[in-house]
Amino acid sequence: MSEHLPIFVVLAPILGSIFAALASWHQPKLSFPVVISGLFISWLSSFFLIFELLNSKSGIINYQLGGWGNKGEYGIVGIQITVDYLNSLILTTVTTISLLTAVYSRQSVSRELADQQRYFYALFSLLVSGLLGITITGDIFNLYVFMEIAALSSYALIAYGKGRSYMASFNYLMMGTMGACLYLLGVGFVFVKTGTLNIENLSLIIPNTLQTSQAIFVGFVLIMVGAWVKMAFFPMHGWLPNAYTYAPTGSGALLAPLATKVSVYAMLRIMITVYSIDYVLKSPNIQTIVLLLSSISILVGSFFSLTQTNLRKIACYFIVSEIGYMVGGAWLANEPGLKGATYHIIADAAMTSAIFMVIGCILFRIGKIEFKKLDGLFYKMPLTFIALIITMAAFIGVPPTCGFFSKFYLIQGAAQAGTWHFVIALLISSLIKAIILFRIIEIGYNKVPNPAKEGNKTITREEAPLSMLIPTLIVTLSLILIGLFTDKLVTNFIAKALPEIPSL
Amino acid sequence: MMTGLWSMLAQSNLIKKCIGMAIFQTGIILFFISIGAKNDALIPIITEGANHSFVNPNIDKVTNPLTQILMLTAIVVGVAALGVGLALAQKVYQQHDSFDEDEILNNQTK
Repeated sequence: MSEHLPIFVVLAPILGSIFAALASWHQPKLSFPVVISGLFISWLSSFFLIFELLNSKSGIINYQLGGWGNKGEYGIVGIQITVDYLNSLILTTVTTISLLTAVYSRQSVSRELADQQRYFYALFSLLVSGLLGITITGDIFNLYVFMEIAALSSYALIAYGKGRSYMASFNYLMMGTMGACLYLLGVGFVFVKTGTLNIENLSLIIPNTLQTSQAIFVGFVLIMVGAWVKMAFFPMHGWLPNAYTYAPTGSGALLAPLATKVSVYAMLRIMITVYSIDYVLKSPNIQTIVLLLSSISILVGSFFSLTQTNLRKIACYFIVSEIGYMVGGAWLANEPGLKGATYHIIADAAMTSAIFMVIGCILFRIGKIEFKKLDGLFYKMPLTFIALIITMAAFIGVPPTCGFFSKFYLIQGAAQAGTWHFVIALLISSLIKAIILFRIIEIGYNKVPNPAKEGNKTITREEAPLSMLIPTLIVTLSLILIGLFTDKLVTNFIAKALPEIPSL
Repeated sequence: MMTGLWSMLAQSNLIKKCIGMAIFQTGIILFFISIGAKNDALIPIITEGANHSFVNPNIDKVTNPLTQILMLTAIVVGVAALGVGLALAQKVYQQHDSFDEDEILNNQTK
């Protein structure tokens, strides 16, 4: 039984989605519990996987689909699923956040999409299975297929938002398909040269024998560009703010934290395992360009967020700048940089999830998230407001929260590599986020709404319903917890996940 | 392939963008199929010999089945993406009475 755990992680949400779609023909209300149980199974198995991984000596769990295609003279032939230190953490993050978001989205979905929620949860579950598939797979073509599963369901989820969301979703579809196609083309180049698609086989072939091959290099660049389009890295970030702003609350809260982070993971996996860090370091021209681009990405995201007055747009531009952190950290290609990037995938998934959940809560009660509508938010929704403050503090990087530690590693890495513009970009972006935090405090705490004007004596306290509030608070607490347990996370998982870094 | 990419990026008409996407995907599919092709090759099927035994085909005389299988998946994905794209384009048309990107943007900012 336990040897089949890896497949359960992906299979449970897929089956959940199929059964939810079938059940909703009969009775639309049934689809929610079906999806929740699927996600719960997936969540449990991802936790068991972590324990199994910690107990195993090799630090890697392989699973051959259908028990077919074991190692022979040609290497691994069938499709393989791999769990190691790098992706087990991300698997758990994805399953936890998606389970919490599913519980959270129940109320907002039934309000926002009153009579059209029939297939919402089926798509929701399909999206989660796509993301989990990207994380767990050990085959680069399979990664493409899961990428498209996740992408197609996310186009539909965004288009649930009505109004401007159709156009936003269409733009996302164009960019997303282009990214996936470029990725596929890159896979083609790699396949021509190596004759295999398995990541484990590729990691044996490419770094050892094909270092100087032109085709492999072109494949590398195409795969990277494809992944960057998917994660909205700087020149290709145009689709993200609109798509996530106009999506309904439930899908926004799921997509924003997970979809981009999982693409970052895919990029890391290609960089670290398939082409080794050594390969990345030997192409220094790209490295400087990418580092420059990620600095620009951080600055652009931060400055655009300063010009917005819609809290959700601000959060979307935060994602753009956070993507800059992660890509930059990964491309520093030294130990602290990679540690910071990997750690930041988890930290940022939690942060973005928290801020989108808070926004959803505010949207549910107040109906608007423009700054001018948020006067005296603290007095109306104290818990939500505190959660917002903690999340913003994490974005800035205030010590007990997880944002501090990732920034610490990233700055250390940048200093080691001598990329000072990256350090400056990081500090400026922290500064701008601090400005936004003080604006929120100014609006939400200092502007006390005058109850006499509105005709009633006291300000009514009205938190979002418990099913929304509790997941929000859990995620916000986890920001501090991840920060406190940084040491354990880094030594037990992240340090083991990274390969030996060649010293220059 | 490049025609498709250009059309996806530069055209302002949504339907033309969808067409560009289809061309781009077809280009990639052809690229993959061309990887697996060989001169004078047959389809890769294991034939039945005498006494119900299986005869493995001569590897030099069959095309590579792996690329074809991969592209079957890619075709399915491409058709799905095209379908979703056209459905969204239709929704946009219902809203704005136009397929032109600039007109839609003007409509939205009004």
